[in-house]
Amino acid sequence: MAGVAPRRNENTLYCLIRFHGFGLNEAMWPFAFAKNLCCLIAGALFFGGCLLLEAGEGKEPVIVPISSDALNHALYLTVSMNKGFFIGSRVPQLSGIYRSVDRRQVEHLGYNHVRLDGIAVDPHDSGALYVVGLNGVSRVADSGRNWRILTGWSMTQPKDIAVDPGASAHIFIALPDGVAVSEDRGETWRRSDRGIERKYTQTIAIDRSRTDAVLAGTEQGVYLSEDAGANWRRVLATSKTVNDLRQSPHEPELFIAVSQFDGAWRSQNHGCDWVLLPKLPKGQTLHNIDFDAHESSRIAVSGWGIGVQMSEDGGETWVDRSAGLPSRNVMKVFFDPDIPGRVYATPYHEALFVSDDLGRTWRALWFEGAVVWDFLFIRTK
Amino acid sequence: MKRGTGILFLFYILVGAVLGEGEGESVYRQRLREVLEQRANAVDVQDYRTGGLAAIEAKLALRQDAEWCSRRLIEIMREPTGDMFWMFPCVAIANLGEEQLSTEAKQALRAAWKNYMPMRGDTENHWLMYYASLFLMAERWPGEPGDRWFNGKSSDENRDEAESYLRHWIKITTERGQGEYDCTHYIAEYCIPLIELATWSRDPEMKKLGAMMLDYILADFAVDTLDGIYAGAHARTDDTQVLEKWNGMSSYFAWVFFGNCPRPRRNEDFQTHFSAVAYASSYLVPEMIRRIALDRDEPYTQKEVKRFPAPKRGPRQQELPVYKQTYMTRDYAVGSDQGGGLGPIQHHSWDVTWAVKDPRGVHSTIFSTHPHVSIDELQMYFAEYPDALGVTITQQNKPTYLSPDKLIGSSVYEQVFQDKDCVIALYDIPAGTQFGHVSGFFSKDLTRVEEDSSGWIFVQGGNTYIAYRPLAPYVWSPLSVGGRRLHSPHLKNGTVIQAASVTEFSSWEKFKEAIRALEFSQALEPVPSVKFRTLRGRLIEAAYGQGLRLDGEAVDFSRWKLFEGPYLNAELGSRRLEIRHGEKVRMLDFDKVSIEQK
Repeated sequence: MAGVAPRRNENTLYCLIRFHGFGLNEAMWPFAFAKNLCCLIAGALFFGGCLLLEAGEGKEPVIVPISSDALNHALYLTVSMNKGFFIGSRVPQLSGIYRSVDRRQVEHLGYNHVRLDGIAVDPHDSGALYVVGLNGVSRVADSGRNWRILTGWSMTQPKDIAVDPGASAHIFIALPDGVAVSEDRGETWRRSDRGIERKYTQTIAIDRSRTDAVLAGTEQGVYLSEDAGANWRRVLATSKTVNDLRQSPHEPELFIAVSQFDGAWRSQNHGCDWVLLPKLPKGQTLHNIDFDAHESSRIAVSGWGIGVQMSEDGGETWVDRSAGLPSRNVMKVFFDPDIPGRVYATPYHEALFVSDDLGRTWRALWFEGAVVWDFLFIRTK
Repeated sequence: MKRGTGILFLFYILVGAVLGEGEGESVYRQRLREVLEQRANAVDVQDYRTGGLAAIEAKLALRQDAEWCSRRLIEIMREPTGDMFWMFPCVAIANLGEEQLSTEAKQALRAAWKNYMPMRGDTENHWLMYYASLFLMAERWPGEPGDRWFNGKSSDENRDEAESYLRHWIKITTERGQGEYDCTHYIAEYCIPLIELATWSRDPEMKKLGAMMLDYILADFAVDTLDGIYAGAHARTDDTQVLEKWNGMSSYFAWVFFGNCPRPRRNEDFQTHFSAVAYASSYLVPEMIRRIALDRDEPYTQKEVKRFPAPKRGPRQQELPVYKQTYMTRDYAVGSDQGGGLGPIQHHSWDVTWAVKDPRGVHSTIFSTHPHVSIDELQMYFAEYPDALGVTITQQNKPTYLSPDKLIGSSVYEQVFQDKDCVIALYDIPAGTQFGHVSGFFSKDLTRVEEDSSGWIFVQGGNTYIAYRPLAPYVWSPLSVGGRRLHSPHLKNGTVIQAASVTEFSSWEKFKEAIRALEFSQALEPVPSVKFRTLRGRLIEAAYGQGLRLDGEAVDFSRWKLFEGPYLNAELGSRRLEIRHGEKVRMLDFDKVSIEQK
């Protein structure tokens, strides 16, 4: 799919651009600055000096040229393209798995699947993926042409999946009624949630640096298993669901968890103990967290109403990087491992937005009206 | 009433009168044919781009226009949509079209089951449709490898998985009750896959189980229907049918099987889906189930236990029993479950429904409700993030979920108690709750409404007198659908209702006198409570959070059976259902997969 026309927040500058009929597409971006300047001047003449103050909020997006040589990963996304879809309704646009190998074009893989919540790579075959969603766990190979649902009726609506990098046949899934594990690449599954009191599990993360250590984000907090899921103990109590758990790519002992109501938490001992990150709001839904592969202390958090928040000091302080997005209801934010300074954000039922200056400016990239549920970079070189 | 439908209704009455008790198969099949012909005749056979799967089913069932069916099917299979609502019509078309469809059309149908991935969904009815369809198609296309199926599983794997789920669902339903019990619309989404199993399964045991479960669902409906209307509590209903109770799929099944109401004009595609299969099927509803639906000579109470599944989130990790009862008379029905949070979006916990000669356009019901809205509660049943969930629900055919004026949906702050034709609904709504009021529905079709200085509101609907007692002050507001809402903006609240037949009293005044004379006391603090001696002489003591006492004895619901009443009886966990009418007994034994009739 070709990139869609950029969308901007409906601030004054954007309204003026639209009013004057200046279409903005990627080919036109070299001319955009001059156009916007013209608009700004015209608008200022019309509305007076106060407009200049507002126009300052809508900075011109920075665009970094991408060399294909610099790209070591392909980007995979799971996307629902339809507002108002419900079971049985018509699906006018393709949802499911999308892939971009060049960050310019995106291609749809496999079935038009309206809801895929999570995605992981099969370490045995980098062309193969595991996805989880409404129909269970699926293994998708051969660019989507080979699709097999691995679970039966007893496991439904998995929300997340993680493959053990130390034992790559082992796969964990987060289920609305607990945790399940497969030890044979998904061919068979068994429940594995002893010790988890209330079962709803939204997210699962495997500690790549400790054998058999797994973390689960549940409706009552974070649980830790140190025996490959056989037994679990609660290491962080929350009042509502933990929505995401991530391990730092730089410091393996560092994990961050974000929650539906209780803010964001950091652990510096592999998830055994947790400390609240005090500067992020409690009482609002935080959806995900991501670490920047290029800068160890840079992290970003997305959430409903809080947009994109970014920290340059490991979570001690935060800067709002939502200006320029059409909404502060952001489902996912993530860094590009190949392009320093590039970050993506996915406002709810809007396009996927990209920023090449760490969220200071944004432009729409793909998927008008979409919800992006998960993302994955798979090494290609 | 439109002239055409009026003539049809007269025809139905005349036929019913002539045929009497044993109206027989020919009338049943004529009704099915009426549905099919109407749908088939709406198709322009010169146009291969109009008409959906239901139209194809209708024409194939009637053996009409096979060429159009083939060409239209090929068109539709290019862009399949509809998930399990696409799957079950495919089953019907594959079977009905066995000798009629072209080779190309059959190939298009087969290819679609590889190229399109239907969603399995997230509800009990979704799964029954999905797995019954998958089972039948796996039987139809046996021995094929995984790469011929959308899910990558072989025919054997699909058949085994589907059969496993279907047997599981039958087991828990016949042991502990349906989760989506007594639904006014979703009854179709059970009956359609079941009649497909009963008609086309190549496995004799699954075929028989399909027919037995269809008996089970229809018997469960028959015992709770008043002139074709599904009375009382429902796990799921909708904004239309909660008021115009005839106007939906349950009354289609009453019309087609029992002949005790006119045919509804909603959901005509669903009517076609069922009719097309039924027209080709040898399945007939047992005559005794039909008689149970019609026999209202003596009042009776039917008690049932249903199953409230464990939520996905929240402290309750186990399923709960639902205690449901319906008191049925010739003139009215009073039905309830225990209330509480038994399903946030489409649940209906209690009502009184009165009989009417012609139910079309009539709101023959009265009830009260608390319009509860809770994102936390939604998250118990939907594995979703919270913030957009409420709006999302309203976009999924549940438009009133967030409305303070809604009349469906359960409230965790409602508790319901019933004995025969008396219901007490108590509300204890915490301060700060989004909507802190109770709504009473007063129909446009009530023929009398009198606010009495005693505190009772006396109303009449059809041949039913009803005394309605609000426990807290109220005001009236008009409803856009007609009638009025009793709006009571008090957190501690309640409703007491007592119904009676007009024939029990020599006059309206005598009824009112009788009600005024009944022992009655109420309190709102510390919790709403009522002490009331009913018209039937029973002393009901109900207090919010403290259960029910009848004539001084605490009611122990744990002793309830799966079914208990004059017509249906089953022990919890038994996997057997005894259907009884007069001297006849039909025993459905799901362990032995046997039917015994005496």
